[in-house]
Amino acid sequence: MQVLLSGLQIGSIYALMALGFYVIISATGILNFAQGEWMMVAGVLGLTLLGFGLPYPVAVLGSIAGATALALLSELAIIGPLQRRNASPAITLLALFGIMIVARYGTGILYGRLEEPLPPPAGSHVFLLGNNVFVFAQSILIYVSTAVIFIGTDAFMRHTWLGRSLRVAAIDPLAASLVGVDLGKVRLAAFGLGGLIAATTAWLYAPLYAVGYMTGAIPGIKGFIALFIGGLASPLGPLVGGLLLGLLEVSASRYLPSIYSEGIAFALLMLVLFVRPDGLIASARPH
Amino acid sequence: MASPAGLVPTRARDMLWVAPAAFVILAALPFWGNDYHVTIAVNLCVTLILTLSLNLVVGYSGQFQLSHVAFFGVGAYTSAILAKDFGLSPWLCMLGSIAVSACLAALIGAPVTRLKGLYLAVATLAFSLFVEVVVNQASSLTGGGYGIQQVPAAYLGSLKLSGKSFYAVGLVMLALTFFVLRNILHSKFGRQIIATRDHPGAAEASGINPALIRLMVLVIAAGLAAVAGWVHTFYHLTLNSNLLNPEWTFVWFFMVLVGGIGDTLGVVIGTLLLSLVPEFLGFATGQTIFGIGVLMILVTLFAPRGLGGLIDDLLRQTGLRHAN
Repeated sequence: MQVLLSGLQIGSIYALMALGFYVIISATGILNFAQGEWMMVAGVLGLTLLGFGLPYPVAVLGSIAGATALALLSELAIIGPLQRRNASPAITLLALFGIMIVARYGTGILYGRLEEPLPPPAGSHVFLLGNNVFVFAQSILIYVSTAVIFIGTDAFMRHTWLGRSLRVAAIDPLAASLVGVDLGKVRLAAFGLGGLIAATTAWLYAPLYAVGYMTGAIPGIKGFIALFIGGLASPLGPLVGGLLLGLLEVSASRYLPSIYSEGIAFALLMLVLFVRPDGLIASARPH
Repeated sequence: MASPAGLVPTRARDMLWVAPAAFVILAALPFWGNDYHVTIAVNLCVTLILTLSLNLVVGYSGQFQLSHVAFFGVGAYTSAILAKDFGLSPWLCMLGSIAVSACLAALIGAPVTRLKGLYLAVATLAFSLFVEVVVNQASSLTGGGYGIQQVPAAYLGSLKLSGKSFYAVGLVMLALTFFVLRNILHSKFGRQIIATRDHPGAAEASGINPALIRLMVLVIAAGLAAVAGWVHTFYHLTLNSNLLNPEWTFVWFFMVLVGGIGDTLGVVIGTLLLSLVPEFLGFATGQTIFGIGVLMILVTLFAPRGLGGLIDDLLRQTGLRHAN
């Protein structure tokens, strides 16, 4: 039971990171390496703002807004111009990697290499659920927020004009631009939404551990691995991929030597890529 | 999804004069340099072997592989373990390293080379992460995070190969790499590689098996990366898992790109620039990586065909070279 709870907890984080990747890749075909860094930036900004003595809600909103603004800026200044020029995927991937490095090591230079825990938004209460099973208030916040963010994103994609343009662009960019969808705006919106999701995740993930300039690396990697495990067909892909990866990792670390639990993400990804290249939740739409 | 192919025209002939010229300059170094310079030069040999072999994969073969660092690191670790724990001679260690890395490449390549574009990049990146994790965890063999120290030095007869004398060995390995790559690119196999990159369908119609060609390219490049790992191990005689950081592949890939993908002269220039400039400016590691990140963004934005492409454009604009 405890394994299930902590698996779901880290799985929710992976799922949220995967959702950020998903929103961008489905609308634009771009795997945004910098997603993990926007999460890290939000965490570090949050710490800094709290350090200035600002009230908690202001620090939360300010840090999320700041990191999202950086995500938008990266699209406006770098990715947008590259896409307009039809740069090859390799060039785009390298530019994204450059953005990731600049964000990560730039934070390291500006902020230093300290790692501090972010004060948890839900306080540090612990609830006992019967014998030897307990759950932190922060964990409950993680479960609830993950559900809310996934439902919210899905609703946004289904019911708003902008969200629908994102979905249309994902299905057929050429046809989308023919019916009047501005692909540039779609790309900007996708990067903004992805950044917003990643930045929000910081306030869920960082209180569990500590936040410093390297914090974005692992959740970023696990996020895109989870996405490719789950598949790119619908938001169910990142959700299933993230939760499955979290559950498997936690149970493996409980029952197997640590070498297996660390390698499991890769093993699962390889298996899925070779057996079902479209991911576990494949689209019903024929290719 | 388009491959990085076709960014730059292939100019295999550039190799003919670059190789001797670079070699003479590098060979003269021990006569005026101190130990620090020799270390930089050996590291440069290692990096050049890596970028040249990576160029075979991403440039000539057009595969966006992100696992080069894994083959380099595995080669380095294999040599260190064979020399230290099994007492093998350094030359046998090299064969061992090449064999292990090449087998690993064949094993992972068989399924991976069928993937395309982003999937190939994701799978190979995940593979290099996996190798890093495994090496860190298998501490009884690899020393985990501490790595391996005090690898026995290499001897040639009774001559201990260290410092400047080992630098000569590094240079020979670099020259061999040039030689191997040159011969591959000038052979039937080389033309098959380029045909497979530019038009897999047409290549297949003329009796080439594209998957097999891609796999062979990957295996050869992995073998060369293992040689680089061997040079690293027997020069430094110590190593740790920083060697396996997947970020290295991106840095090498960037060196290839700065010079111009698929252009040997460009790759050499790009590698020299990005290896030596931070060294002479005396940057710390974090600052160097930050600087490389900034450069990555600037180059992809303003000179996506690399320095070679930039110079080409300038020559064309001034009318010194006709557009082809």
